[in-house]
Amino acid sequence: MGHSELLAVERLTVHYGKDTALDIETPILIEEGDRIGIIGSNGAGKSTLIKSILGLVNYEGSIRTRLTVEQIATHMQSNGYTDAMATRHILEAVLNTKISKNQKLRELIEYFEFEDCLRKKYSKLSGGQKQRFTIIMVMMQDAPLTFYDEVTSGLDFETRQKLVEKLVAWYRDRDSSLCIVSHYYEELEQLANKLLILDKGKVVDFGKKEDLFRKYCGRAVIVLNHSPEKETLLKNYVKLAAPPHLIALSCDTEEKEREITELLLKNNIDYRRSSTDIEIIYTNAKEKQRGQVNRQ
Amino acid sequence: MNKENRKTITLSMILYELRNVTGNPFVHIFGIGMPVLMSILITRIAIAEMTEPSIVRSVSTSVFLGIGALIPMATIMMGYAVQQAQELEKGIPERLNLFGIKNRVMFCNRAVSETIFMVAAFLIYFLVGVVFLDLEMPVFSGAVCYIVCILIFSIFCFMLAHAIASLLRKFSVTYCVSMLIYFACMILGGMMGMSYESMPKMMQAAAKLLPVTYMNRDFFTIWTGKEYNFVPMLQSYLFFGAVSGILLFIAARKQTRKI
Repeated sequence: MGHSELLAVERLTVHYGKDTALDIETPILIEEGDRIGIIGSNGAGKSTLIKSILGLVNYEGSIRTRLTVEQIATHMQSNGYTDAMATRHILEAVLNTKISKNQKLRELIEYFEFEDCLRKKYSKLSGGQKQRFTIIMVMMQDAPLTFYDEVTSGLDFETRQKLVEKLVAWYRDRDSSLCIVSHYYEELEQLANKLLILDKGKVVDFGKKEDLFRKYCGRAVIVLNHSPEKETLLKNYVKLAAPPHLIALSCDTEEKEREITELLLKNNIDYRRSSTDIEIIYTNAKEKQRGQVNRQ
Repeated sequence: MNKENRKTITLSMILYELRNVTGNPFVHIFGIGMPVLMSILITRIAIAEMTEPSIVRSVSTSVFLGIGALIPMATIMMGYAVQQAQELEKGIPERLNLFGIKNRVMFCNRAVSETIFMVAAFLIYFLVGVVFLDLEMPVFSGAVCYIVCILIFSIFCFMLAHAIASLLRKFSVTYCVSMLIYFACMILGGMMGMSYESMPKMMQAAAKLLPVTYMNRDFFTIWTGKEYNFVPMLQSYLFFGAVSGILLFIAARKQTRKI
């Protein structure tokens, strides 16, 4: 295992009864400083992969790491705590410290605006407060590798935005590696530099965000809302696979991009230009894989 | 936070587990309230017709010591089993594992906290007993024997509770099973009005295997330093300990296989 390598997964299989939840053949390498966004639809095996790495499920195959389970911090999809006491007591017991004596903990509590929640029981916290509670403890672990499994699921738009902003700001100048499972692509655009795309327990692709974009989308994409009129207007341009409510146009050259944008401006059509759009990467990666499977 | 250097038993974890124990209403109702109430009521009923003070004292002490066995059964066997199952259902131990708190650490700190709570419950129980009942003073060896027997019984109750919760892993089922064991022990132990002598043969055979039977029936003899054959009681302890130990072993094996 190389110096910068934190964890390597090779030929990993997880079975839940007769079902195969995970069947990874493509090696996955997590290196120091990686910010990996793990994406895939429900049942793709995202959480199962994390549970395998943490040793919470039985698996076949190889997971090599120089880290102990204790050196991996994890924010699970659902995090349960006792309701017999106020959250401050849970914090102090789990972290084996006193809030009053721990400057870093006090800073984190203040950073996540959790002061007023310290006297409340866990069940009395709102969804966002519950997530922040676990995040504070996860961040206090200061681990070389941290997993965030759907940290913003179930939160309203504003709370989600605020939480992601805090996470982005916190990890901006830090070396720790992150693996973030999320269904919200705009969050991953802010947090991730690599993508692991899973589908039905298999790896669709894994690599740097920019490389994957070039591979599946080209130089840039123009994305606009779908309508039959727009479809007719843009029928002569190369389209990428996109969710049904969108049209995604590939721009291989600057000239092509200019041509498309001028046409859209002339027709007063709103559009979005991107060279990192994760949703379009994901859709096209999956589409390409399905094509390959169908050909086989 | 230094997870690797965490000691097995720490003050913060003891306090955490103690808050967990005291936050469970079952242990207050069944572990303190019920034994206190039962000891006063049953003793009053039992001595209602008696006039001889020495007999009144003997009967009161005998009933009081027997009912004391309810405290470890309620606080530990039932209270801990139910709460542990509830925590397992919510994934709390798994969450704490991910923070580097090992099962061994939780188990040990919980054992200490349960002991602290049980001692406090016994102190309240004896305080009420001394105030409201006419109790016989023990001989030194009798008091020591009572404490040792209760402590060993509590350890077995703790092992049994942990095993039941780990094997069943559901609050509702664990609650049902621990309640059944609790009431079965009370009935077979002779705490519900039917003495060992008046039980049918089949019930006697089952009662003989339970330490509570001897606690309820014979502890007064030990308390007052009279001659007593410890062998049947010892056998019941060995049986109860073996059952608890085997179940705990199975639960631990099941857990090891899972991870």
